[in-house]
Amino acid sequence: MKIDKMQDGERLAYRVEGRLDTNTSPELEAELKLDGVKEVSFDFSALEYISSAGLRVLMAVHKSMAASGGAMKILHPNAMVLGVFEITGLDSVFAVEA
Amino acid sequence: MKKGQIVASAAVLYVALMGVTWTIGTRQAAQKTEAMLDYAVGDMRVSLDGVIDTMLEHLASIVVHHFRQADAHSMEEVAAVAEAFDIDEISVVDREGRVIATNDPDSLGVDMLVKDETRPFAELTNGVTQVVSQPFRRHAYGNSRRKYLGVPFPNGDGYVQIGLDESRMDRMISAQLSFLFDPQVGDTLCYLCADEETGKLVSKQLEDDMPQTLAELGFDVSAFPAGGASLLGDGGAGAAKTFVQWLGGRRVFCRSFLFGGHRFIVIEPEDEFYGSRNMIAAAMAVLLALVLGGFAFFLVRISGDSERIRAFYRAADAARAKEMEIAKTIQSSALPAPLEASPYFRLSASMMPARDIGGDFYDFFMLDSTHLAFMVADVSGKGVTAALYMMTAKTLLKDALLAFRDPAEAFSRANAELCRSNTANMFLTAWGGVLDLETGLVTFVNAGHNPPVKVEGAGAEGRTPKYVTKKSGPVLAFMDGVAYRPRTLSMNPGDTLFLYTDGVTEALDHKGELFGEGRLLDAISAVPEPNPKMACNVVRMAVAAFAEGVAQADDQTVLAVEYVARPLRFVRSFPPTQEGIASASAFLDECFGGVPDAAREGARELGSRLSPLAPALHVVLDEICSNIVKHSGASGFEVDVELVAEPAGVKLTFADDGAPYDPLSHKDPDTALPALERPIGGLGIMMVRKMTDSMDYERVHDRNYLTVVKRGEVFSK
Repeated sequence: MKIDKMQDGERLAYRVEGRLDTNTSPELEAELKLDGVKEVSFDFSALEYISSAGLRVLMAVHKSMAASGGAMKILHPNAMVLGVFEITGLDSVFAVEA
Repeated sequence: MKKGQIVASAAVLYVALMGVTWTIGTRQAAQKTEAMLDYAVGDMRVSLDGVIDTMLEHLASIVVHHFRQADAHSMEEVAAVAEAFDIDEISVVDREGRVIATNDPDSLGVDMLVKDETRPFAELTNGVTQVVSQPFRRHAYGNSRRKYLGVPFPNGDGYVQIGLDESRMDRMISAQLSFLFDPQVGDTLCYLCADEETGKLVSKQLEDDMPQTLAELGFDVSAFPAGGASLLGDGGAGAAKTFVQWLGGRRVFCRSFLFGGHRFIVIEPEDEFYGSRNMIAAAMAVLLALVLGGFAFFLVRISGDSERIRAFYRAADAARAKEMEIAKTIQSSALPAPLEASPYFRLSASMMPARDIGGDFYDFFMLDSTHLAFMVADVSGKGVTAALYMMTAKTLLKDALLAFRDPAEAFSRANAELCRSNTANMFLTAWGGVLDLETGLVTFVNAGHNPPVKVEGAGAEGRTPKYVTKKSGPVLAFMDGVAYRPRTLSMNPGDTLFLYTDGVTEALDHKGELFGEGRLLDAISAVPEPNPKMACNVVRMAVAAFAEGVAQADDQTVLAVEYVARPLRFVRSFPPTQEGIASASAFLDECFGGVPDAAREGARELGSRLSPLAPALHVVLDEICSNIVKHSGASGFEVDVELVAEPAGVKLTFADDGAPYDPLSHKDPDTALPALERPIGGLGIMMVRKMTDSMDYERVHDRNYLTVVKRGEVFSK
């Protein structure tokens, strides 16, 4: 897995490439520094798949952003990843941009 | 006319009418009684002949099987066989009708075509006639009456004729009594059967305090068989000998005949048919006015009587139909349910029972996930006896195969058991095999059965069916202590094996010609592609077209197995750590790339065809392995990846030795709850369930086995 991170003031953007599973999720978790961030986005255009371990990270981010009045966005997930969101009902919780 | 004259005339008329009525009534009752007795005696004789014929045919078939062909066997050998099977006379006759082997010194060399009574047996060399039977007749050299029956050798080069003395029939009749004396036949009609010499009753279950012999019942034993005359009084040669007897306080009409050392007596109570006459006479004696009414009543009763006769015929027919119905039920209930569809083999089988029900059966079952057992068998004989023996044989063979797995060992063990329980001189031919789906090797046993046909090749070209002629032992239930030898044949993907019973190859057309092995090969050749169901149907249609409506004489069974593909399975073990999960994920990638066993034919190609399923399966693997590693306390886990071409899909099996955990009992988290109120976690198993087509859990020998199958589209729901 490869993680690119870009910070622009209160905006934080991640680009995740490869697989987000039980092995790789801790790496993403370690990259997360959300203090003072108002908007966080994950570009998943190069993400192959996501397992529940990855979902847990996203849900934790979503919760903490909601608590601080910020927002989380998911960008360009493939059919596989979108399918996982739909199965778990998270497609209606997360802000997803195709 | 004076009043008195009128009364006198009426009285005369009354008496005349009464006389006429009495005469007509007596005549009618006598006719009905005689008709009923005729029918009952005839029915009884047919049943007895049928039973004896069936048994002799079994014995003759066994002797034919023993000698195999018309050779000049020594007298000692023939005598040994005769003694072994309790047969009085055995003659092996060649194609020219000459006795070339026998246990009777006077018969050796005799030309069977010379004498009138032996000439009909020559028919057995015409290739069509399967049995010639003669009624009991006085034996040329002795005092006893003997019955002869002949059965041809399969290659038509002669036949075997066996002779049994009437005295030997005792034992057979005794064994069959319960069948012959079906208490459901008839209302008041009954049978008695007693030993001819002692008069001891054998036909009923008798209590100690009941009469035990004909004499004790009141029969005048010395009057047999001369006593009696037809009730119709027309006497004459060949007239039925009906005699009157008092039995249990009732007047009864009896007929008696001898068969097989037994005296049979058919009994019809007088009041069954004479009751109506007596009743009418009594009624007429009371009032003249009732004369006309009596006539009417009489007519009604007469129609009641015919109704009773019809009811008897119906009951007799129903009893026979019922036996066949029972046999049919036994036979069809013994057939196995279809197997779960497999990507590695296809199997189709069917059986067309004949009207009289032979003893065919087929069976197939998995010994484990990679071994398919299948067989076809034919029990000698027909009807309920054959059907019951078929059940025994089928159960024994299946149990033995499940227990020993090796067909040769299984057949040897089952044979020993079948010989022990064989009281009716039955035997069966069978072909049983076990297909190893990993290798395509079929280990089989052929116990005297027709050779199966193997069709090689998946394409239309070069599909030349051939008979697999290897035999490995004699028929089952014939000789104790037979050790069957295992034979093998190897199948490649696309090859089909076709099994059948002799009802197929020995189906007759209207000219009396056999369908034969040549036509069977032609029919199988006509099947354009490997397709067991089609093969079975084509053969059945070919046989039906050949027979052109000629009644089917024997059960016709067909079974075809196609070996479709070798399984592509890869198995590896991993430690219960994060690294283990990462390795398992890499292993899954390898499987799709065909790396674990690239040499395996088609592995790479199939792997790449199925690779669109990979991401979903990675998620599945990640969820299940994380569960095992985090929660089960297992010392390791195993991943088994099976790539399936048809229907396209992947089967993953996860095995671990951790705490019992059935994910199927796990409840899905409530995804309707707002995300913030939802507990994090518990989603994994639900994702697995929704992303796969099936999921099964088993706990075997302290190990958890979780199997998931993923087919077609990545998201099926």
